[in-house]
Amino acid sequence: MLNKKLVVVALMLSFPVGAMAANENVGGCGWGSKLMDGNRGIAPQVLAVTTNGTSGNQTFGISSGTSGCTQDGVVKSSWKTAMFIDGNKTKLARDMSTGSGEALESLAKLIGIQDQHKAAFFQVTKENFARIFSTDSPTTDQMLASLKQVLATDSELAKYSQSI
Amino acid sequence: MPGRWIFLFILLWQPLAVSAAGNTYLNELVEQARRENLAQRSEWLNLLHYKSYVYWPGMRSLADDPAFFNAPDGKTDATAELEATLAVFFSTAEETDKAQNPQCRFIARYHWLKKELHFDPERLREQPCKRFNQWRAALDPYQITLVFPAAYLNNPASMYGHTLLRIDGKNQDEHTRLLAYSISYAAGTDETSGLVFAVRGLFGGYPGLFAITPYYIKVREYSDIENRDVWEYQLTLTPGEIDRLLMHVWELGPIRFDYYFFDENCAYHLLSLLEVARPGLELTDRFRWWAIPSDTVRAVTDQPGLIKRVVYRPATATIIRQRLTQMDVRQSGLARGLVERKISTADDRLHELPPREQARILELAYDYATYRSASGRDMTTTTQMHELLLARSRLEVPPQRPEVPVPAVRPDQGHKTSRLALGVGSRGGRHFEEISLRPTYHDLMDDDGGYTRGAQIEFFNMTWRHYRGDDSLRLEEFTPLNIVSLSPRDDFFTPVSWKINVGWTRKHFADNDEPLMFRASGGPGLAFNMPGSHEGKSVYYGFLEAALDVGKRFDQDYAMGMGPTLGWLTNISDRWRINLYARSLRYGLGDAHNARELTLEQRYSLNRQSALRLGLHRKQEFQDYWNGVDILLQYYF
Repeated sequence: MLNKKLVVVALMLSFPVGAMAANENVGGCGWGSKLMDGNRGIAPQVLAVTTNGTSGNQTFGISSGTSGCTQDGVVKSSWKTAMFIDGNKTKLARDMSTGSGEALESLAKLIGIQDQHKAAFFQVTKENFARIFSTDSPTTDQMLASLKQVLATDSELAKYSQSI
Repeated sequence: MPGRWIFLFILLWQPLAVSAAGNTYLNELVEQARRENLAQRSEWLNLLHYKSYVYWPGMRSLADDPAFFNAPDGKTDATAELEATLAVFFSTAEETDKAQNPQCRFIARYHWLKKELHFDPERLREQPCKRFNQWRAALDPYQITLVFPAAYLNNPASMYGHTLLRIDGKNQDEHTRLLAYSISYAAGTDETSGLVFAVRGLFGGYPGLFAITPYYIKVREYSDIENRDVWEYQLTLTPGEIDRLLMHVWELGPIRFDYYFFDENCAYHLLSLLEVARPGLELTDRFRWWAIPSDTVRAVTDQPGLIKRVVYRPATATIIRQRLTQMDVRQSGLARGLVERKISTADDRLHELPPREQARILELAYDYATYRSASGRDMTTTTQMHELLLARSRLEVPPQRPEVPVPAVRPDQGHKTSRLALGVGSRGGRHFEEISLRPTYHDLMDDDGGYTRGAQIEFFNMTWRHYRGDDSLRLEEFTPLNIVSLSPRDDFFTPVSWKINVGWTRKHFADNDEPLMFRASGGPGLAFNMPGSHEGKSVYYGFLEAALDVGKRFDQDYAMGMGPTLGWLTNISDRWRINLYARSLRYGLGDAHNARELTLEQRYSLNRQSALRLGLHRKQEFQDYWNGVDILLQYYF
């Protein structure tokens, strides 16, 4: 009954440096998430709790900088927005549908939306939910493009479309 | 690993390349360090992760990676390590993508020694640490937060918890914490067999590594997938202390420590980071044998003035429960219908409702669909989830997400995890005195403030009794493992409760002999809230249990059987709880017999750290029946 649970999230960086240079898109540098069928019988439940098995990719090894989008474990500034969207798509969808929430607040911060424009940003993303999420599972590139477009067509927020 | 040896060789060779003047200054610094006995100072020992041995005198570093030491015997000789470290600081090697200058590689050590020995920049040139500076700038640290994810549903073992540190950036606030980074320490492995993982983890079979990860990844893992409420303890570390912590984390990035589940685990190592940050904090000393993450949180909150503020982050399942309290059954039924694809978002029953109520239903449906797919019960299609959100986005009403009230008792404020009990009782007319010790952690009858209701986990529970007329104390029970998960079911959540109990106990045979014998028992069950009761305050339950008893007294040395348990666990008041249950086991294999009991347990809390227990039993084993009563005073420590 217990081993059906999907419990472990392992983080995988999908492409090595070489692939990145050749192909500078988000698909080449995302923290894709991988759900694995965790084998959680009773014994591991007892013991697997003070740790979380993580793959070596997550560490910020000193020879890091190999993953393309991070340097020494932190996300390069040019990738920040894309990586955040990539890692928070379902939360952003939820937040945009109601025009509120911490994922949306965080995205606004990353784009650099000023406080006086936040309400408009939340409203616009809610109204344009169907455009930003034009399919049920848009790629990060598609989301970035449609979000940029939506902001560009709004008089108040047009200036922010450049920061995406 | 030739790569590592070449790296070490370069490191060691560098100092030889420095000028004679450098060597003179090095000698002066070494002299000065010896005079001031710097190598034995706690700051230095903390930087090297030196700890006393548990079993014999002396110290060694817990780091198990030669790259962490500049001296060949740096793991055991703090003085040699200090002097070798001073030597490598004279290196003028330039930083590359593959290697750093030792001043940057050991940047926390560098800054501490620089401060203590007043390095002369003319004679020991400071090297630029571009990579460290970029890294630090990207983190933009303002505050450090200790993060503690609490237990997840139907998994008592997860009550032990896990801890991580979060680096909060200057331009974040409570709404944008997803942008922070977390520092965690975990066993580095791709092992998917839980059992292999558990066994190797006990004996240090995995390398433990520090990792830095965007906090949103951790939130997804704990809040969304595992459904654990998360407690965030913001610390009062000053900018200088935060810098020291980050410099030290930088040193530890590639360093391997052997991972041990019980003592050298995540919680233990994170405490040692805080000790480096604020010299004089003594957090790890009390965890010589084992470090339970929730106890390490307690160690931090026990420090006067170390906590600034505590933030509670409810998990998806907790939010769903809160949403349900604001709805009637018809509305929640519609939400469930949407998720189970019994109705569509275009259904009239939904559209005839006021927009605000529609929004509530759609939001609940989406959260519930997320919960179900995360728990693997049912993969709601992305199309369906997309439709729910689309419908919600068309409603012109503000978000309907309720405020989840912060639990009155935080995990660090609950009863302590070890328990000693003293008492008296009578069993079949024979009086006894009893003493029992539970090293860890929580049972169903304990006050569950700060714990997860319905979750019991105990390790190495021991009970001794002295029966009137006997001349010695006898071991009554020894239970290395005892877990019960009592998770009430309802329309939205349908967990299967379970229990397992392994240990030695006394069995009553026909001739009044009561030998100690081994027993393993356990099985699945179902639990339900009493109508009108919320959050498991009053729960009735049933288990189907199998038991194996092994002992010389049995025919064929064993008896195996099964049978039901029915019970009712409820709070009479905040301090007073009762558990009434009937249990019947029919042993059909081996030495055939019956075992039955009817028990009423009561607990009355005197204060957070002490309670009274009263137990009343009627029991049968083989042909004999007897009554029992015991009263115990329990003290948590």
